[in-house]
Amino acid sequence: MAGLGVARAVGFVAPALLLVGVFLVFPALWTLYIGVTDYQLTGPAAAAPSAVGLDNFAAVLDDALFTNSLWLTALFVLGSAVVGQNALGFALAWLLRRVRPWLRRTTEGLVLLAWILPGPVVAYLWFAVLSRDGGTLGLLLDDPTTAWLVQYPMVSLVVFNVWRGTAFSMLLYTSALAAVPPSQLETARLVGANGWQAVRDVVFPHIRGHVLTNTLLISLWTANDFTPFLLTAGGPNHESEVLPVLIYRQALEGGRLGYASAMSSLLLVGNLVVALVYLRLLRRRA
Amino acid sequence: MRRLVGVVAWFSAILFFAPVAWMVLTSLHSEPDAATNPPSLGAGLTLQGYEEFFGASTGQSPWPPLINSFSASIGSTIIVLLLAIPAAYALSIKKVEKWTDVMFFFLSTKMLPVVAGLLPIYLVAQFTGMLDNISFLVILYTSMNLPIAVWLMRSFLAEVPPEILEAASIDGAGLITTLRRVVAPIAMPGIAATALICFIFSWNELLFARVLTGVVAGTAPVFLTGFVTSQGLFLAKVCAAATVVSLPVLIAGFAAQDKLVQGLSLGAVK
Repeated sequence: MAGLGVARAVGFVAPALLLVGVFLVFPALWTLYIGVTDYQLTGPAAAAPSAVGLDNFAAVLDDALFTNSLWLTALFVLGSAVVGQNALGFALAWLLRRVRPWLRRTTEGLVLLAWILPGPVVAYLWFAVLSRDGGTLGLLLDDPTTAWLVQYPMVSLVVFNVWRGTAFSMLLYTSALAAVPPSQLETARLVGANGWQAVRDVVFPHIRGHVLTNTLLISLWTANDFTPFLLTAGGPNHESEVLPVLIYRQALEGGRLGYASAMSSLLLVGNLVVALVYLRLLRRRA
Repeated sequence: MRRLVGVVAWFSAILFFAPVAWMVLTSLHSEPDAATNPPSLGAGLTLQGYEEFFGASTGQSPWPPLINSFSASIGSTIIVLLLAIPAAYALSIKKVEKWTDVMFFFLSTKMLPVVAGLLPIYLVAQFTGMLDNISFLVILYTSMNLPIAVWLMRSFLAEVPPEILEAASIDGAGLITTLRRVVAPIAMPGIAATALICFIFSWNELLFARVLTGVVAGTAPVFLTGFVTSQGLFLAKVCAAATVVSLPVLIAGFAAQDKLVQGLSLGAVK
């Protein structure tokens, strides 16, 4: 078709596949391997790591820090992505259908700002907003003594991540809603359905695929997000130590490379399981 | 009702924008004005913060990290385009079962936790002597952005109607002519948007840059993280730094806004 034979087509795809294989898939497999060794950053095990089988994995599963982190990550993903970004993104997309085009574009642009700014920049801004004695939030609430990031670290992270990531859901739902036939919404209105009923019975069946895809993507991005490190560095006392932060600290601050890799492997497997569940759900629709 | 919705739209726009507005405003204040609380909205504007950031009194220039970031982002974006356009083209015109598997492979790599690849990639960089070398970041960012680029680009290329391709083929157009005269004009806005998205992602990448670079190849986000720690008390200066580091992605983001919406949603679903 269009003069593109099989050989040529393979030739077109191969370089991209090769690079992705070498720099993304191979490191992931290597991580699985390091996870079964006692590799350390320093000391005798740094020069000659030896295989320790599944010891690391057993130790990780038994580690209170890991269990704590797993729970925090689940909370982070559920609170900020599955519920927060999803709901706010949909609500914004739904409301913005009715405003004037220029206002809609402006709002979209401003919400998008939060999504595209570099991590250190947004982390710094939130630090300024949430810090004690002079943080803007403290001033607004007339309560300058609350150190939000210290006293309510997880709540702060969830609110932060909703602010940061809602843009993606909003944009995705905006284009999904554009595909819902207006006549069906009109019919729903005529038979006396209220806003919620219209969304549930008319809109949702049309955008089910979008909802699933969006939820999958934002969940995985949130679960793998490293920005919390810049805001709270996992503290105080591990209270906001989500998995990527825990892994980073174990590897670079603790020097326990094998142990950290075992944690990475578990995170990797967790991601794959979520993705497979999603694929099954999506297939069921088709 | 319409008015209420308008108010809600304004309110959320302001809520999302507030921290950024604070940053830009503070960056234009003098240090004493920046330090007041609540922020002095009416204070006189000055470029002092920017002059200080660019080393007016310390002589320390932020240009090397900024240039590093430009090299890494632009370099990797160009290579991504060179590799992703042919791949996406092949994947978009072949409607064969196996090709969806290839697409899914590309997609699945986007789901790998970045932190899981950190250690092996560090070891590779160390082994090849590429630590603190901007070329290594270029290659790395290229691989990290390839999946999403192929994915987005395929959805843009899929909009080229197959009839036109057939017509071109019947008229005796070869592959190169078809790509240049038929496909490129239709797909160009999508390609531009993909390029801008890759640029934004590379520019913002922090984790790998932080671990793999040092004095020589440090990128702007790494520099900014250090700057916030060392100069945190000088609000105007830090805000100027944050604004400068944000500027390239802001420009790219606004240039791509419409296509970004279309590309992300098409790519996400089709």
